[in-house]
Amino acid sequence: MKVLFFHLMPYAYLDLNYQEKYKTDWVVLPNTYFDPVKGHELYNRYLDELELAAELGFDGVSVNEHHQNAYGLMPSPVVMASALARRTKTAKIAILGNAFGLREHPLTLAEEHAMIDVLTGGRLISGMVRGIGAEYFSFGANPAFSHARFQEAHDLVIQAWTRPGPFAFEGRHYNFEYVNVWPRPYQQPHPPIWCPSLGSTETVEWASHKSRRYVYIQNFSPVAAVIRYLNMYRQMAERTHGYTASSHQIGWAAPIYVAKSDEEAVAEARPHIEALFTKFLTLPFEMLFPPGYLSMQSLKGMRAVRRPAIQGGKVSIEGLMETGIFLCGSPDTVRRKLIESHHALGFQNFLAVLQFATLPRALTEKNVTLFAREVLPALQALTDKDYAGMAEAAAE
Amino acid sequence: MLNETTIEVRGVRLNMRRGGAGAPLLFLHGAQGYAGSGPALEMLARRFEVLAPDHPGFGRSDVPDWLDDVPDLAFFYLDLLDALGLERAAVVGHSLGGWIALEMAVRSTRRIKGLVLAAPAGIRIAGVPRADMFICTPDELARLLFAGDGWKAWTEEQQAGPDALDIIDKNRFAAAKFCWQPRLFDPKLEKWLHRIDRPTRILWGEEDRIIPPAYGRRLVELIPAASLALIPRAGHLLPVEAPDRFADETQRFIAGIAS
Repeated sequence: MKVLFFHLMPYAYLDLNYQEKYKTDWVVLPNTYFDPVKGHELYNRYLDELELAAELGFDGVSVNEHHQNAYGLMPSPVVMASALARRTKTAKIAILGNAFGLREHPLTLAEEHAMIDVLTGGRLISGMVRGIGAEYFSFGANPAFSHARFQEAHDLVIQAWTRPGPFAFEGRHYNFEYVNVWPRPYQQPHPPIWCPSLGSTETVEWASHKSRRYVYIQNFSPVAAVIRYLNMYRQMAERTHGYTASSHQIGWAAPIYVAKSDEEAVAEARPHIEALFTKFLTLPFEMLFPPGYLSMQSLKGMRAVRRPAIQGGKVSIEGLMETGIFLCGSPDTVRRKLIESHHALGFQNFLAVLQFATLPRALTEKNVTLFAREVLPALQALTDKDYAGMAEAAAE
Repeated sequence: MLNETTIEVRGVRLNMRRGGAGAPLLFLHGAQGYAGSGPALEMLARRFEVLAPDHPGFGRSDVPDWLDDVPDLAFFYLDLLDALGLERAAVVGHSLGGWIALEMAVRSTRRIKGLVLAAPAGIRIAGVPRADMFICTPDELARLLFAGDGWKAWTEEQQAGPDALDIIDKNRFAAAKFCWQPRLFDPKLEKWLHRIDRPTRILWGEEDRIIPPAYGRRLVELIPAASLALIPRAGHLLPVEAPDRFADETQRFIAGIAS
C-alpha cells in the first residue's frame, strides 16, 4: 500500500469565538481574522511537517485546494507543491486536487502541473476535483454547470498533455485556438489522475470508467461510506464498465492521531479533532450544496437525511471514532484498524491527515514520527494477498 | 379561472396557466415560481386573457439544455409570442421575469403592447448591493422576500403538495443556471434599454430587501417611456404581498395605453 501524508494547512490560530458573529469560517468570515505574520509561521511549519514525513519514509506528501476559509489555507496548492518539489527527493507530490473546472482558463493549471512534473522528474499526482460547493460562491462559478465544466476542463487538460500541439479545442464552455502546452508532462502519457470525493455515485462512475481508471479517494467519511463507495468502484468497473479494477485504483483519506496509549491519544487529540468538525469544517447546507452542484436525483436522496450540513455543535471525539471518521489510539490500535479495513476493502492508497485544525507543531511531529515508525511499515507491506476480496469480506 | 395547460415551443413543453377573457397578458414569474401568486393572477384574469408559463427549467416545464442564459429565455419567449400569433400582448414580469421582459423588449417590441415590471432584476448599480438569495437559508430568504409576516403563509403554500419540494429544488437549480454569474444581471442589458419603445410601468415594494428601490429609479432613467410606482408596506414578492395593488396598477396602466 502507498501511504501519503495529506496536509490541509488550516489557519490554526483561528479565533475560535468567531461563531459569536459568523456562522461559518467559509466564504463570509472576514479575512481580517487572518494574521499574515502567523500565516508565515504556519506555512513554513506545515512544509517542515510534510518534509519530515517524506524523510521518514512516507510514499508521498499531499496538498489540496480550498478558497476563502480558515479550514485550508491553500487557494493554490500548486504553490505548496512547488515548494515541496525541491525539498523532497523521492516522495510523490499529490495535489488532491485542483478544481480545473472552476477556472476560466484551466490551461494555466495544466501548465503548472506539467511544470511540477518535469521539475520533479515525474513525481506529481494530479488530483481533479469539482471543488466543494462553497468554492462556487468564492469563485463566482455557476454551480449549475459544475459537472459539465469539470468534464470539459478534464478533456481539455488531458488533450493538452497528450495530443501533439498546437490544436484547437472546441468546447461548449472552453474554446481555445492554440493548445500547445510547453512543457509536456514528464510522465507519459500524463501524471496519474486521482479523484478525491466526499462520496458521490457520479464521481465513482466517471472515475472508474474503462477509458479513465482514475484513482478514487474517499475523504473524511464514516467507515460505512468508505465501504459503500470503494466497493461501488469495484462493482461499477466490473458490471458497468466491463473490467476488473485494480486495488491501486481506490484509496481512503482520514485524520489520524497516534500516541503511546489509547487514553493518551484521545486526551491529546480531543480539543483539536473536535475543533476540526465544530469550528473549521462548518458548512451550512446552502454553501455545501449550492443549486446544481448535485444532480436533482442526488439532491432528492439528500432530502431523506433532512438537509444535512457539515456543521458541528455537538461533535465528540468518541462519536468520530465510533463512526470511523477519525482513527485514534495507540499504534497497535490504529494499525489493527487499518489492517482490518484493508482486509475488507483492499485499497492500495491511504492518505493520513496527521495534522488537523489546531493540533500544534510538537504534537503533529510526534504524531508523524510515531506513525512513521510504528504503523507505516505494516501498511506499506500490505498487498492484494491481504485483501479478502469483495464477496469474501461481505460474507464474513 | 386559470387552467394548467401544456404548450410546445421550439421543442420545449411548457406548463402554462391560462384563463380569463380580454386582451392577452403574458406573465413571467420570478425565481421563486408561482407560490402565493394565485390571487394576483386571478385578479388579472378578470380583465385579461392571462398566459402564465413556467419558464423552461422551472416548475413543471421541460429542462432544455440548450437554453442557458436569460437572453436565451428572451428569444424563446419572443418565439412563444410568434407561435401564439399575439399581436399586442401586455408583458408583465416579476423579478427574474421582469429581467426576461426587459431582454425581450430590447430585442423586439413588435408583439408587445406595454410592459409592467415588478422589481425586475437585470441591471446592476455599482455600490448598491442586492441580497444573495443563494447563500440564505430558506427561512432567511423567506423573511427577506417580504416586508411583513406574509412569509409564513407563503412558505407553507410553497411546501404544500406532493411534488412541492421537487419543484423548489428544480426552481433553485434553474435560478442558479440563469442568475448565478454575474449575479442577477446581464452586463450588456443596460446599454440597450433605450431601444424599449413601449410604455413601461415599473412597480417596486418600498421595503424590498432583495433588490432595493434605487434600481427602479435607475431603470426609469434608462427606459424612455417609463414611470415608477413605489408600493408601501411591500417587499420583493410584490405580486404575493400586495396582489391588489399589483393587479390594479397593471390593469389601469395597460388599459391606459392607446391602442
